[in-house]
Amino acid sequence: MVFTDFSLVVFSTLAQLAVGLTVMAALQPRAAGESGEVKLKVEWVTAGLILAAALMASMFHLGHPSGSPRALVHLSTSWLSREILAFGCFGGVLVLAFLTLWKNSGGSSLLIRLTAAVGLAALLVSGMVYAPPSFPALNNGVPVLFFLLTAFILGSAFGAYFVGAERQGLLVKVLATSLVVGLVVNLILPSIWLSGGTVARMTGANFYGSWLYWLRIAGEFVVPLAVLGAWKKIPAWLPILLLLGEAAGRIMFLNSVVHTATNLGGLY
Amino acid sequence: MSKKQAGFYIDAQRCIGCYSCAMACKNQYHQEPGVHWRYVYPLKEEIYPHRERAWMSLACNHCEHPTCLEVCPVEAYYKREKDGVVVHEQEKCIGCQNCIRSCPYGAPRFNPARHQAEKCSMCYQRLDAGLKPACVQGCPTYALQFIEDMASFDQSGKVQYLAGFPRFPELNPSVRFRPPREPREVRR
Repeated sequence: MVFTDFSLVVFSTLAQLAVGLTVMAALQPRAAGESGEVKLKVEWVTAGLILAAALMASMFHLGHPSGSPRALVHLSTSWLSREILAFGCFGGVLVLAFLTLWKNSGGSSLLIRLTAAVGLAALLVSGMVYAPPSFPALNNGVPVLFFLLTAFILGSAFGAYFVGAERQGLLVKVLATSLVVGLVVNLILPSIWLSGGTVARMTGANFYGSWLYWLRIAGEFVVPLAVLGAWKKIPAWLPILLLLGEAAGRIMFLNSVVHTATNLGGLY
Repeated sequence: MSKKQAGFYIDAQRCIGCYSCAMACKNQYHQEPGVHWRYVYPLKEEIYPHRERAWMSLACNHCEHPTCLEVCPVEAYYKREKDGVVVHEQEKCIGCQNCIRSCPYGAPRFNPARHQAEKCSMCYQRLDAGLKPACVQGCPTYALQFIEDMASFDQSGKVQYLAGFPRFPELNPSVRFRPPREPREVRR
């Protein structure tokens, strides 16, 4: 299968970035006073705009975008319907939390945590869409794991833009941990696939044989970990590098994982 | 299971790999160039290691529990009560391609001109008129046959999962195969 549609790369990466930002906003202690509140509002608006851009990009994936509202009708069995509902709920709670923040009324911290929880739930649902039986390498918890890693890596990296340099400690810890987990997962997973059936083995070989895979390992994991180890802070250019790395990973996720139908007539 | 389940019988001992079934389907539905609902797959050498070749003709398997029907977000698929044929309603399809990604047999295809998925419907209009599917009618060796009801089909000597055809018991594809025989060596 040749993947030519980048709208799914943009949609999934940006939506997970938006979830990551809300999760980090819920975890991050804020500076007291007005500056902390303003930064939180800006971060929240940014998360909302990123989610809007993601949802807009998802429309370009559809052959007939005008029919997209009907995609909610099959909630009983379709994970795609559930994914649309979940991200709709995420967007709704995100807006509600922003309105509460804007009015400085009580309960905003509760709504911020609720938004993060709904966002994480949306990622779980989203992972199920990409785990059909036709992809033996993904017909398990791997998509959910990938999506959570994307949210934590990008959320902690981009979250650094919205806190002062002196308050990056937690974000640096979350980012470094996520990068270590991501590096280990991405190095080991193709080996696990190589020990599976024929189609899973083809997927493992595709990953290890791809220059994009190795470029991502170096550019998204090794170099940023070295930077974090040396500087103990998140420089302004690092989130962009990580975003490019995640986009490369998503291209591989959508393009290099082998479908069972590609080997019809062969061993399974 | 629905009251009746229609299916396809593929006799790999009779199939000569002529692609008449795939062409009959093309002639019936005039699919876009590059789009085929039925295709003839050669068994690879790792499965059939002989100089003679063997084939299996595949289209939609009209599964008992179809993945396409399950994953479609707009309910563009339905299963006919009377014969279990899985039908795709193109006027409902929004072209999300989730069925194409999810069907392990690669039955739904993307029509680049209409920006929608489409697949074999077992020629249900022909079935309703008392005719056989176009591919079955077009097969010159009776290698591809129509099974009116899987429950009453004589299964002896037939298999559901031929080597080269992925095994997904939870879907229960409505196809049966007669495996290819070992070629006979003629010594002179």
